Amino acid sequence: MESISGVEREIDKVLSKFSGVKEHADRVLEDLMRNTESLKNEIDLVPPGHELTAAQIVILRQTMNKIRDTVHRIASEHRDLHSTVSKVGKAIDRSFVADFASTSREDVFSGSDKVQLLNQVICQHFYRQGMLDIADELAQEAGLKMEDGGKEPFSELNRILDSLKQRDLSPALEWAQSHRESLDTQNSSLEFKLHRLQFIDLIQRGHTGQAEAIHYARTHFQQFINKHEKEIQSLMGMFLFLPNGINSSPYSRLLEPNLWVEIYDVFTRDACSLLGLSVDSPLSVCINAGCTALPALLNIKQVMQQRQVTGIWNGKDELPIEIDLGQDSRYHSVFACPILRQQSTESNPPMRLICGHVISRDALNKLSNGNKLKCPYCPVEQNPSDARHIFF
Amino acid sequence: MADVRSLEYPTLKVPYELLNKKFRAAQKHVDREVSHVQAAALELERVLHGDIVGASDISRLLGGMVEKLQVLKRKADESISEELEAAYVCKRRLEHLREHAASNGPVTSSSTTGTVNLWRKRRLDRMLVEYFLRRGYYGAATRLAHRSDLRDLTNIDVFLISREVEQSLAQHETSKCLEWCYDNRSKLRKLKSTMEFNLRIQEFVELVKADKRMDAVRHARKYFTIFEDEQLQDVQHCMALLAFPTNTELSPYKELLDGSRWERLIEQFRQDNYRLFQLASQSVFTVALQAGLSALKTPQCYSNSRDSRNPSCPVCQDSFNELAQPLPFAHCSQSRLVCTISGLPLNEHNLPMMLPNGYVYGEKALEQMANENNSQIICPKTKEVYPFKKLEKVFVM
Repeated sequence: MESISGVEREIDKVLSKFSGVKEHADRVLEDLMRNTESLKNEIDLVPPGHELTAAQIVILRQTMNKIRDTVHRIASEHRDLHSTVSKVGKAIDRSFVADFASTSREDVFSGSDKVQLLNQVICQHFYRQGMLDIADELAQEAGLKMEDGGKEPFSELNRILDSLKQRDLSPALEWAQSHRESLDTQNSSLEFKLHRLQFIDLIQRGHTGQAEAIHYARTHFQQFINKHEKEIQSLMGMFLFLPNGINSSPYSRLLEPNLWVEIYDVFTRDACSLLGLSVDSPLSVCINAGCTALPALLNIKQVMQQRQVTGIWNGKDELPIEIDLGQDSRYHSVFACPILRQQSTESNPPMRLICGHVISRDALNKLSNGNKLKCPYCPVEQNPSDARHIFF
Repeated sequence: MADVRSLEYPTLKVPYELLNKKFRAAQKHVDREVSHVQAAALELERVLHGDIVGASDISRLLGGMVEKLQVLKRKADESISEELEAAYVCKRRLEHLREHAASNGPVTSSSTTGTVNLWRKRRLDRMLVEYFLRRGYYGAATRLAHRSDLRDLTNIDVFLISREVEQSLAQHETSKCLEWCYDNRSKLRKLKSTMEFNLRIQEFVELVKADKRMDAVRHARKYFTIFEDEQLQDVQHCMALLAFPTNTELSPYKELLDGSRWERLIEQFRQDNYRLFQLASQSVFTVALQAGLSALKTPQCYSNSRDSRNPSCPVCQDSFNELAQPLPFAHCSQSRLVCTISGLPLNEHNLPMMLPNGYVYGEKALEQMANENNSQIICPKTKEVYPFKKLEKVFVM
């Protein structure tokens, strides 16, 4: 935050000073022009061939001096602004990291096959976003051959999502009905939520929609009574408040527009998991993770350079520090041995001791003494060969 | 906020450099017009000093003065407006960055996560625009910038100018690039750029290729002398080229004559242009992608058994998997366990439980399975069936 404010302060100074100089120069030059103009008119009155009076000459001299002084001052005023301008640059240098690329290696994404792979990934990202024209343009410019199959699931989803944005539920309902069984096995309440929104839409039309809403509820809500009894009850409760307006009733929360935002998310999530796709575009996930990781990496790099221990991290095997990307970005179980503080590998897997505590196989071997092992966490003594290899 | 600090340097530095450039140009314009006014004033004073001061002369000179003042006023006005314009670009970008800071504030309701996501999406689009520009995919870049309304927030204009230069170099023309060199002469000198020198050499080589060796000598006399100090050896190579036929196999003359030298010129131009605007040699996009892939990369993503891959994990997807191959793994000194059935974390609220076959799942998912399955647990990986009471607790420190 300070970094932004610092630069903004300097930029504001630039803006105000430049506007000041501009206005001032404008005004002063206007004055000078008017003065000179009137002098000229005065002299024009003198019949041609006549000489000027001494007084006129004095006035002219003074005017010329004034002009020279003033324009000189304008130029130097402008020149003085240089320090204000360069302060912006210094503020940027001070509060932002210029050398943000110091932790990454240039060779990783170079080479034409890597570039094409990267472009392909970007293309898929745009397919997901429904920005087909950009994906096509990129594919053409990069000389990329995208298989047509890559587009299809996305174009259908995007069509449905677009109509959801326009508050048109019918394509989504159609899709949900045709995938009802697989949605059920996923324990998804997408179809109910779609029907609910349709119902709310009907009931909001007031008295005219009442009969239609009741009819709609009768046809569609029965099938959901097992799972959503409570919600159906509260939906029906809305009829009570119809005459006075639902907005002032306890059910007003059902009219909030974020139900539409929610259905958008629910549809994306459920449809993606049905099709075996990840919910978020993998590219966005990576970039967001990168934006979280990079500041920490840059910091540690700087510290390493200061302590002159750059050799420790060659940027190849493992990152030097742990980066917490938050619960949402944990896709795999990682077991780190609490004794050796190392991640488990296939050759050094997690082992469960009889008492239930888990340590890595290397630690187990180090701690055991012949056929005796005391658990490092509790008093239980056991035979190391009783430990079980476990899988997370 | 740290991500803005680490990643947005080019977003601000490029418009600052433009502002700085505009400032210098404006100062030049103002100085020039001021000196014209000064000269006119001196001229008038000289006439006033004379013996006879004719009214018509003075009137004419005064008329000239008014004109010059007008020009000064117009130029000053225009130049300062341009400077203000450049400063506003900076300001708009700062405001955009500030939005991010605001959305990261303490309030965390669903609407703010919405704005955070929106901001992040725009950030990705900005990065992609820049990446496209660097790769030379100008069509995709302009389209994306237009579609996501990012023109003000990306350095697209800077790159579009360089595209013209690159195109002319690709057509084996040097004039556009030389023009660019003159435009940015003082900065390039500060950066010790050899762009202009290499262009002149190329011109020389082209003359030799066309067998106009006398013209080549004349060209060398005209342009090479100013560079001589630093690049004496290159100049010597060049001059020696005169003695060789154009199909020579001898190094370094063969390389000088090679057509691929033009491509190297384009590459050099790109790099120099980046340095001119203090852009790093790598794009923010690739840097962030590398860091992100590393932070997400686990040994499981590369495990031989497909089972341990997770379809939601980006690094487990084929193309990302290949891209991340040379990158370091994430570091982990604290266990982070996830139940592979429910995706929920394993902790004191969802205890890890081991089946007799050694596989570990979360208590919650197993309880649910047991309830639905008559107290039977079917291991999702091995399909073995166990009674619920065979489960054993696992303690992970």
